[in-house]
Amino acid sequence: MNFWQSLYDGFHTNIIVSDRWFLLLKGLGITLEISLFAVIIGVVLGVILALAKISKSRNFIIVFFRWISNVFIDVIRGTPSFVQLLIINFVVFASVDIDKTIVASIAFGLNSAAYIAEIIRAGIQSINKGQTEAGRSLGLSEGLTMRYIILPQAIKNILPALGNEFIVLVKETSVAGYIGAYELTKASQIITSRTYNSFWPLFAIAVIYFVVVKLLSVALAALENKLGKSDAR
Amino acid sequence: MIKVDNLHKDFGNLKVLKGVSEEIKKGEKVVIIGPSGSGKSTFLRCLNLLEEPTGGTIELNGEIINQKGVDINKVRQKMGMVFQQFNLFPHLSIMENITLAPMKIKKMSKQDADELAIKLLKKVGLEDKADSYPSQLSGGQQQRIAIARALAMEPEIMLFDEPTSALDPEMVGEVLDVMKDLANQGMTMVIVTHEMGFAKEVGSRVLFMDDGVVVEQATPSELFSNPKNERTKAFLNSVL
Repeated sequence: MNFWQSLYDGFHTNIIVSDRWFLLLKGLGITLEISLFAVIIGVVLGVILALAKISKSRNFIIVFFRWISNVFIDVIRGTPSFVQLLIINFVVFASVDIDKTIVASIAFGLNSAAYIAEIIRAGIQSINKGQTEAGRSLGLSEGLTMRYIILPQAIKNILPALGNEFIVLVKETSVAGYIGAYELTKASQIITSRTYNSFWPLFAIAVIYFVVVKLLSVALAALENKLGKSDAR
Repeated sequence: MIKVDNLHKDFGNLKVLKGVSEEIKKGEKVVIIGPSGSGKSTFLRCLNLLEEPTGGTIELNGEIINQKGVDINKVRQKMGMVFQQFNLFPHLSIMENITLAPMKIKKMSKQDADELAIKLLKKVGLEDKADSYPSQLSGGQQQRIAIARALAMEPEIMLFDEPTSALDPEMVGEVLDVMKDLANQGMTMVIVTHEMGFAKEVGSRVLFMDDGVVVEQATPSELFSNPKNERTKAFLNSVL
């Protein structure tokens, strides 16, 4: 049996037989699902956290919320995301019967929110103070100034770092199998447990992750380019 | 129209305004001159509360504006401001720069706001730039747009914070011309500037500030030809 023949046999056994490719496809679906929900949670919560951190309001509720935001960001950034995933699954949702995809989405979403909050805060603060002053001097409220003047400009500065965070997130979901979510890496391990082969299942998912991230970065670059055109600063 | 009483402003330990009392009447063109660090810009920025005064009061039309419960956004709608660095919104077209505030605050329809913007653009001589973006304009043009943007809220008073200091010399004239037009139409104006020629020509009163207080004030002809205070004399000698 020559080299090419054995290579093909390995591929055939690990990917084709028993529709194992379908297991990988389903795994990819779960991976994308977790990533997408986590991104949504991360962005929404991240914006709220960032605004709370930036606000100079002395309103008691906002001051309290600002404190919570700081503690949250500190804790999330100070502990491994894998440990957070385990805590969310085995402590927070220990006695709740809930889809592991959702548990993983929440865990990665919360984790991502802390990083996204810092990215957004930095993006907002990169906008010249004169822009806020110009908006406020016209009589626009703090909220309207943020919405129509600061955020549209900040988003351009934020996008590269935010895209990076999305990419990191997609790959981080690869540990979700540990709590029983049937994502891509878990799918490869299931195949390995049947075929006793590590090369093909791992090689296959590495390629799949790479392609997903590549598509994501191409899409983000296109978006950046499009936003950059509206004003030649 | 505006009455300032014993205004103080500290930045930490630094006392920038040390008790300024001043009254600005409707239609007056008050020009503020003085060396850098004298507090003239800070005084101007206190008037529309971009800086929060540490002490003293500011009244607008008889109502104290630097106290709790005052809707600061309402107050600012009556006071237009023009900045040294123009501060146009780079992500919006010239048209959108002008129409944003009337549409969002006064709930003006897009059509009305556009009409208003065209009228204002004609006033500052830039109606052909409606669809341009700020980065495509020269400094002088940007500052004229900034004036149009402030006027779109139909303010009762206009504040100018060194409006020509960031401009190339050949562009100063076009901005001053727009300001002169505005003055001739009876707008109440407070202008911090280094343009002594403009101060002489347009000012109804000139304040000389130094070290956080108004040292001397008079009509332009009086102050420039016959300054009384030693510090005023020294300053005018160095700039004229």
